[in-house]
Amino acid sequence: METENQVILVKRTNPRADPERSEYLFEELRELTRTAGYVPVGELTQTKFPDSKYQLGRGKIEELAELVRTTRAEKVIFYNKLSTIQLFNISEICGCQVIDKFQLILEIFAKRATTRRSKLQVELARLRYEIPRARAIVSILKKEEKAGFMGLGDYEDAYEQGLKKRITRIESELESAEKDDESLRTFRHRKGFSLVCLAGYTNAGKSTLFNSIVDESVEAQNMLFTTLVPTTRALELGGRKALLTDTVGFIEELPHWLVDAFKSTLDEIFLSDLILLVVDVSEKPEIILQKLSTAHDTLWDRIQGVPMITVLNKTDLLEASELEAVMEEIGYMAPNPVFVSAKEKAGMQELKAEIIKHLPAWSFYSFSLPNSEKGMSMLSWLYDEGIVHSVEYGERISVDYEARTEVINRIQSLEQNLDE
Amino acid sequence: MWDIIAVDISGRHRIKGGYYMVCAAAALTVSADHIEKVKQVKILPFWLKKAPGLLDVVQLIEDTANQLSFEGTIVAEKGDMYNQPRWVPESMFSGAFKYQESLAERRAIELAHHISLSARNLLIKELDIEA
Repeated sequence: METENQVILVKRTNPRADPERSEYLFEELRELTRTAGYVPVGELTQTKFPDSKYQLGRGKIEELAELVRTTRAEKVIFYNKLSTIQLFNISEICGCQVIDKFQLILEIFAKRATTRRSKLQVELARLRYEIPRARAIVSILKKEEKAGFMGLGDYEDAYEQGLKKRITRIESELESAEKDDESLRTFRHRKGFSLVCLAGYTNAGKSTLFNSIVDESVEAQNMLFTTLVPTTRALELGGRKALLTDTVGFIEELPHWLVDAFKSTLDEIFLSDLILLVVDVSEKPEIILQKLSTAHDTLWDRIQGVPMITVLNKTDLLEASELEAVMEEIGYMAPNPVFVSAKEKAGMQELKAEIIKHLPAWSFYSFSLPNSEKGMSMLSWLYDEGIVHSVEYGERISVDYEARTEVINRIQSLEQNLDE
Repeated sequence: MWDIIAVDISGRHRIKGGYYMVCAAAALTVSADHIEKVKQVKILPFWLKKAPGLLDVVQLIEDTANQLSFEGTIVAEKGDMYNQPRWVPESMFSGAFKYQESLAERRAIELAHHISLSARNLLIKELDIEA
């Protein structure tokens, strides 16, 4: 019998927790498990307050061990966060590898990471996760130690020190990559591009929407965390140039250190001019609200003043009356809502119009340039930086122009130099 | 647009002789992502010898919100309610109650927090409470 990748899923729920919500969170764990390439062969849940030794009750853990034996599963995946002691105790009893949801997410990220940078980010997240465990593992191993011999010796310190050194090295490498990103963003801004970003819960359909808007074929799957590396493409919106970036999706209870390790991908969202928050509207309203709440929670403190459009995706799965009912319930969490179906490419025009409405304001300016070589070269620069509405060539070149305020200011100061 | 009352309590830690807390309640009109209008703000200081329980906190918030001439759903941070599930404090309030969710509600709580914290700092300084 094939036992590879067979896993058992376990979740402990606090007493008095909402059963429907617990089931939804468990479904999310199933989804993550499938995304990681595992085959769930058994499930176990228990309602009780956490046990410090085993997370579940001792009896339930023995039941789990029995289930592992009968199903011949090679791994046990816990929804709840496990301490090192719990990991150690449970794996001792079950006789197989035990991981929790956070390690599972890391595994998915590690499988998906393709660029050197995302590989470094995954490794950083893994090392940060391991650091507090390093000490605990050493202390567990020390229990076996006898005075004077069979000790860990230098390894005791070297293990933790090694981790810390590696973390510092990765951090400095990522920092320099971050600076490159920053200068790239400034350069794009200076070139007159507005930065638009797709954000949202994982599997909301961000990549499908991205493909529909820019007519591209970025990998889009009905799976969690398909996108790990932000992809950026140019977009023309009513004569204005914008750059649309597809980003990594959010997930509930994503641990802080993990978000921090993926800071550079989230920075794309935080530093954009406009955020398109994508939501799967075909789900139940309470689940949509929960997902919106997770997204708002991740974003709210960092997006000072950046406008947000809520893109309600997958409308093809609902009737118009159902959409209305959903909107009534989620309206207070959905700023500037637009209905689209990325798969059917419906609602794209409305979405583009809404994006144009919320892009940073550009101003109009009418002026004239000398009809000389200098004037012509400036005109070609103007075409790069903004929208030239009309040009009339005469003794002088009259231009009606629209661009960002900084560009207009620059023109005003250059105008004087050209005339001199 | 929705009418809410954003509340926040500062000073739920022991200082000399007890707990000196200040509750701020701000009556606001919010959209999904912005505070559209700040209608009224009230603060209420409160002195307690023992550590405040959930009922004390609910009472303090109700008393502060009652001073406002506007009505709305009371919005608070989960931590202020000792991280209890929503239905626990909800059943103790006389009006509508919820935890912060949208961008605007989070911003509103931030506003109430700054008000209660600076009001408490000012009162402690002026009344020489800790000395």
